Amino acid sequence: MDLHTEMILAEYDAKLPLVERLQKVVKSTLTDAIDRNGLVVTAVKTRLKTRDSLEGKLALKGSKYHSLSDITDILGARVITFYTDDVDRIAAMAEKLFDIDWENSVDKRRLHDTDSFGYNSLHYICRLPKSVIDDPELNDIRFELQLRTTLQHAWASINHDIGYKTGVEIPREYLRQINRLAGILEMADDEFSRIRTEITDYRRRVHQLVQNGQLSEVQLDGDTFSSYLKARPFDSLNRRIAAINQAEIQEVPLTNYLGVFKAFGCNTLGDIDQLKKRYAEDAYTLARHQLGNTDLDIISSSVGIQNICIVCILAQGGGKIGLIRLFNALNGENEQNSLLADLTYEQAKNLPFMSK
Amino acid sequence: MTTTITNNGNQIIAAFAGRLDTAAAVQTAEDIKPLLEVSGKEIILDCTELEYISSSGLRIFLTVRKDAAAHGCKVIVRNINADIRQVFVMTGFVSLFEIQ
Repeated sequence: MDLHTEMILAEYDAKLPLVERLQKVVKSTLTDAIDRNGLVVTAVKTRLKTRDSLEGKLALKGSKYHSLSDITDILGARVITFYTDDVDRIAAMAEKLFDIDWENSVDKRRLHDTDSFGYNSLHYICRLPKSVIDDPELNDIRFELQLRTTLQHAWASINHDIGYKTGVEIPREYLRQINRLAGILEMADDEFSRIRTEITDYRRRVHQLVQNGQLSEVQLDGDTFSSYLKARPFDSLNRRIAAINQAEIQEVPLTNYLGVFKAFGCNTLGDIDQLKKRYAEDAYTLARHQLGNTDLDIISSSVGIQNICIVCILAQGGGKIGLIRLFNALNGENEQNSLLADLTYEQAKNLPFMSK
Repeated sequence: MTTTITNNGNQIIAAFAGRLDTAAAVQTAEDIKPLLEVSGKEIILDCTELEYISSSGLRIFLTVRKDAAAHGCKVIVRNINADIRQVFVMTGFVSLFEIQ
């Protein structure tokens, strides 16, 4: 080991506690900002270059570095995103968060020629500004921030494992195969982003149609049913039922009714709304008949939709078998469902909707 | 009204006996506290000997359910009689619990 390397390693040993402190601040600053901006990422990682790794680097290109401060990746931070667009979002966030050393930062995504594929990642060399932490020692240290997608990360990790870990030079044909895969993953990354954008547009359109009451134009599926439920279509019936005994309403999810409405033959949200309009009054009558002579002052928010389904089955002649199917769909197949159906049928059998 | 809690491996069983009405609810709420501390287990609310449940009783069951969900536990209501089954249907609580 030459004197120059020894001096830089001694500087590394002396500054290690400081860099460890920087590591904690960088990680929490990134994590907090990602949460604050409502971004979802696969991982936020930080790592400190080990002494051995630094020694190896200095052995290879030590003359390039005058002192430890010339080495910008003693601390490395990495944010791995799901989508390519999120790399740009995190980059914009990082530009506001940190002081970027533009001269030494590189967007490797833009370095490739039109006919080459390979390592894609955005590398920023950063410093913590005083607005994050006012500590001259910490503000002075540069660190590297890498931003990449999950697929880019997978490719880079495997490429590193195959290409470098063994220390054996890989024949050109295998390198070409690895780089071909980079091209496929780049396409997959773009496709995932495109699909996400289209799903977001679709949800926005559905939300707009639900808001405008154009329910018959919206096909029934899990996504659209959730949008419909967000408009709280059963609240007014639930409030009427709650008023019977001045009951409190306990909120519960209603998404498990999707399968029930599909079994009823509903193809659009408009079909569900028609059922609601048709049977809401009878559903209330059933609730009044059931709860009217009790002192039960707590109900779940599923009671309105449940009674609409019960009435729909009974009014259409579905009888006890139909009720068993309903309870099976809601609670899973269970012999108790037959007893629940018997009981519900007995309670409802003399109500007006049974003779419609 | 009595509540007996037993641990049975991956299950914790609360066996209720008597009438879970407003008067009994305060003591029962106290008795079921061990259920609120478990995580990763199946909680069985055994109602074989439970004769009656009021709104106060339903609220206790609801507390167990909420806490269980927060701790990754599943709640099963077992062996309810016809009257209590009726209460569960009328209030919509039937879709809140797995009933066996």
